[in-house]
Amino acid sequence: MSGTSLATDLDTGSLLQKLARPAPESTSFVEVRYSSMLTEPIVASGELEHRTDGALVRRVISPYAETTVLAGETVLLEREGSKPRQFSLDRAPELRGMLASFGALLEGNREMIERHFSVTTTGNDAGWEMQLTPRDRKLKARIALIRVNGVEGNPRCFTMVEPDGDASLMALGIQNRSALPASLDRQSLQAWCTDRTKVVAK
Amino acid sequence: MTPGRKGLLLAAWLATVAALGWVVDRELVVGSDLRLFMPAPRTPQEKLILEEIGEGPASRMLLLSISGAQPSAAAETSRALVAELRQDGEFRWVANGESNLDAIPEKLFAYRYLLSSTLDHSRLDSTFLTAQLKERLHDMTSPAAGLVESLLTRDPTLELLNVVETWQPPMQPQTLHDVWFDKAGSQALLVAETGAAGFDPQGQRRAADALKRAFEKARTDPALELIVSGPGAFSVLMKDRTQGEAQWLGGLATIGMIALLLVAYRSVYVLILGLLPLVSAGLAGLAAVSTFFGAVHGITLAFGFTLIGVAQDYPMHLFSHQHGGLDPRDNARALWPTLATGVASTCIAYLAFLFSGVGGLAQLSVFTVAGLAVAGLTTRFLLPPLMQVKTRDAADSALLGWIWESIALLPRPLWLGVAVAACSIGILLISSRPLWQDALGGLTPVPAPLIERDSTLRRELGAPDVRYMLVIQANDAQSVLVRAAAIDPELAALVARGALDGYDHAARYLPTLEQQEHRRANLPSTRVLEESLATALRATPFRPGIFLPFVADVERARNLPALGPEDLAGTPMEARVNSLLLDRDGHWTGLVTLTGLRDPAALGSLDADFPDVTLLDLKQATESLVAHQRTRILYCLAASAVLLVLVVAFALRDATRVRRVLAPMALTTLVVLAGLHAAGVSLTLFHLIALVLAAGLGLDYALFFEHAADEPAEQRRTLHAVLVCSTSTLMVFALLALSSLPVLRDIGLTVSAGVISNFLLALLLTRPQGRTS
Repeated sequence: MSGTSLATDLDTGSLLQKLARPAPESTSFVEVRYSSMLTEPIVASGELEHRTDGALVRRVISPYAETTVLAGETVLLEREGSKPRQFSLDRAPELRGMLASFGALLEGNREMIERHFSVTTTGNDAGWEMQLTPRDRKLKARIALIRVNGVEGNPRCFTMVEPDGDASLMALGIQNRSALPASLDRQSLQAWCTDRTKVVAK
Repeated sequence: MTPGRKGLLLAAWLATVAALGWVVDRELVVGSDLRLFMPAPRTPQEKLILEEIGEGPASRMLLLSISGAQPSAAAETSRALVAELRQDGEFRWVANGESNLDAIPEKLFAYRYLLSSTLDHSRLDSTFLTAQLKERLHDMTSPAAGLVESLLTRDPTLELLNVVETWQPPMQPQTLHDVWFDKAGSQALLVAETGAAGFDPQGQRRAADALKRAFEKARTDPALELIVSGPGAFSVLMKDRTQGEAQWLGGLATIGMIALLLVAYRSVYVLILGLLPLVSAGLAGLAAVSTFFGAVHGITLAFGFTLIGVAQDYPMHLFSHQHGGLDPRDNARALWPTLATGVASTCIAYLAFLFSGVGGLAQLSVFTVAGLAVAGLTTRFLLPPLMQVKTRDAADSALLGWIWESIALLPRPLWLGVAVAACSIGILLISSRPLWQDALGGLTPVPAPLIERDSTLRRELGAPDVRYMLVIQANDAQSVLVRAAAIDPELAALVARGALDGYDHAARYLPTLEQQEHRRANLPSTRVLEESLATALRATPFRPGIFLPFVADVERARNLPALGPEDLAGTPMEARVNSLLLDRDGHWTGLVTLTGLRDPAALGSLDADFPDVTLLDLKQATESLVAHQRTRILYCLAASAVLLVLVVAFALRDATRVRRVLAPMALTTLVVLAGLHAAGVSLTLFHLIALVLAAGLGLDYALFFEHAADEPAEQRRTLHAVLVCSTSTLMVFALLALSSLPVLRDIGLTVSAGVISNFLLALLLTRPQGRTS
């Protein structure tokens, strides 16, 4: 029945099954960062790739070039004009959040997600939202909440909210800033994300 | 002497020995700095070498690896171990690759503008700040955002990270899970610098124990194991092995000795009496060294007891000559001239070491001379009243009689002596191989697999070279830093050329006053900085006003006095700088350690261009020190040989007799030297000591053979004494010769060969002619 009815509410298990994609898989993204230190949000765009070896690659193309490879417990950060840096995931909990949520979503790996987060899912195939709340103290210090919005088997937006209220929002499947609404304030953009899933679902 | 008075005397002697033993035990301080057995330095250069070998950063450095389980577990243990060791007073500093911003105290935080090289080439102007702020914007959308945001308002140019980066070791292994790992990624690597010097085995033992305890606490997986390598770890290992083997062999020798004495004299009472002079000698020796030197070196103790083992022979002569009806006091009186000549000449031989210029040998000399003198005197004066008048007479032995007669029939081939001497000298002269072993490592060689593991770890960790380093000498700390900063570009060029992988010196951590003042002068005033910042803010979306802490810090830095070595006290950099910048009584020395050195010759140009910079080759330098020390000891020995001949000549007053007594000893020394050399052995200080010991024994045998009277019974008694003495000595040293450790084996082999040669030559050359029964 659930396969035919768009109105049926989704549970986490079946949503993750829908999300699972065989590697390699890649998608473009535009990330918007909100910080209390900034007068306006900053925008970066690039590509995300899930490699066959399980590694996640985040490649920023504009406004600067930078590649981050997350493989196992290690992060390799390479930016144009400076020497590569390597550090462990323990050092960057927000990355662990990203890896656990994004990577696990791609793999449909519920166990991996739930090791770090408690998960609630609302909505249906036409538009759903998954909320991930960190479990351990270290992660909680950096991430208050991760929100994933999507439609059917396609995630559209990742929003990571930090405890101090700063946040970053990553829209998937779009190439650059011009695809975003003119105003980048947080409410409008979040609304855009929710709308977007509805629009696509129609 | 009545049994009652006899008992009283014995009790008094035992009580004195016990009391002396108690005092010595209470007062004795056993030192263990191996450098006491190295030559005393004469020049500041030699002083530096000796201090460097024992105390330099390379000698204190322990290389650690943790492996055996998952890399993540090894990494976790590595972090926990560092935390444990930082609490421990045994270690000056510990590193595992974790870059730890918290380790920089608030006090140094403001100094970042003086410590970082940024202000050398750029100013905090609008162009620079705009570029920096744009970089930070990028950081904020990167995975490094968390780290950068926490520093941003106070340190937008990330000077703190620049400082931390320059303070990292020059060469680093790869980092996994935030800590150092080997290339294969299976062993977590760490380095620790001990507080104890490398040549302080006791301190190194404490460090090794502390390390073991800390590891047990830090271990997160029972399968993990810790490997410790480095000079300190080796000195602990070799000390344990030497001690273990010496104890084992010593125990066997003691059992053998007791068995031999029981067979020879068939009396437990005699056995106990026979040990008294030796025990008294040992205690007297210890007391003498304690009095003159304060502390007794562990090696003095071990060797000293081996050397005064000769004293065991003195009572044996007395016992062997004792027979029914003879008053033991008359016996002792008759033997005394011979015995005294032996004691005196052996003492003279050991006296040579007193003037060797080596602290440990001087101790050894005082120990043996005092010990032997006491053994001789107690044998002469205390032992006879305690002896039983009626004992088994060695002269009753038909076997001994037969042996003596057989010996008497032997020819007296005087030509043999000449031939043996000629052959030996020939072997020594013809050979082109060096006679002496100059490398210090030759004395206690570390097993090859351990050396290999050490060099692998060293390569993986990029630890500094243990043989070569550059030394800067100056009158004050600043001049050392200035020179180090001056040669830095040259060293960097050598790294670029591939002559070496990396280098480290104090100026990397602590810039010169001039450098710091120059950087400080480049800092803008608050007004200028605020203007530049405003321009930069117009080009970036940063909220105005958030950089007030930055402006305040720059203003603070403009008023800071430049940092000197003394200001580092209590900071994590103190230990690093202190091991590279040394104050020696107002004379300052800077060390430049080298990593992955492939071309030592390339450093020669630095040596030539800067008069106060020297390339130190520790191996070559210690070898020349050892060679110099040996020359001096040989001169001392030559002088004491002359003295010895004079004493024997004075005692015997007959040229023929003197020649007969001295010939076996002199020939034996030549024969053993030639034999060792022909067998491919390179001679060390320990061979020399052993040769002196063998010569002393030989002199005793010869004196007693020469002394043997016309009467057959007396001859048999002498033969009995010399047989018991030589057999017991041979047994002890033959056991040592079985040791796997070169030091013990060298001594055992040399003395054993000496005893055999001395005994045979004394039989053939010294025995009075034509006196048979």
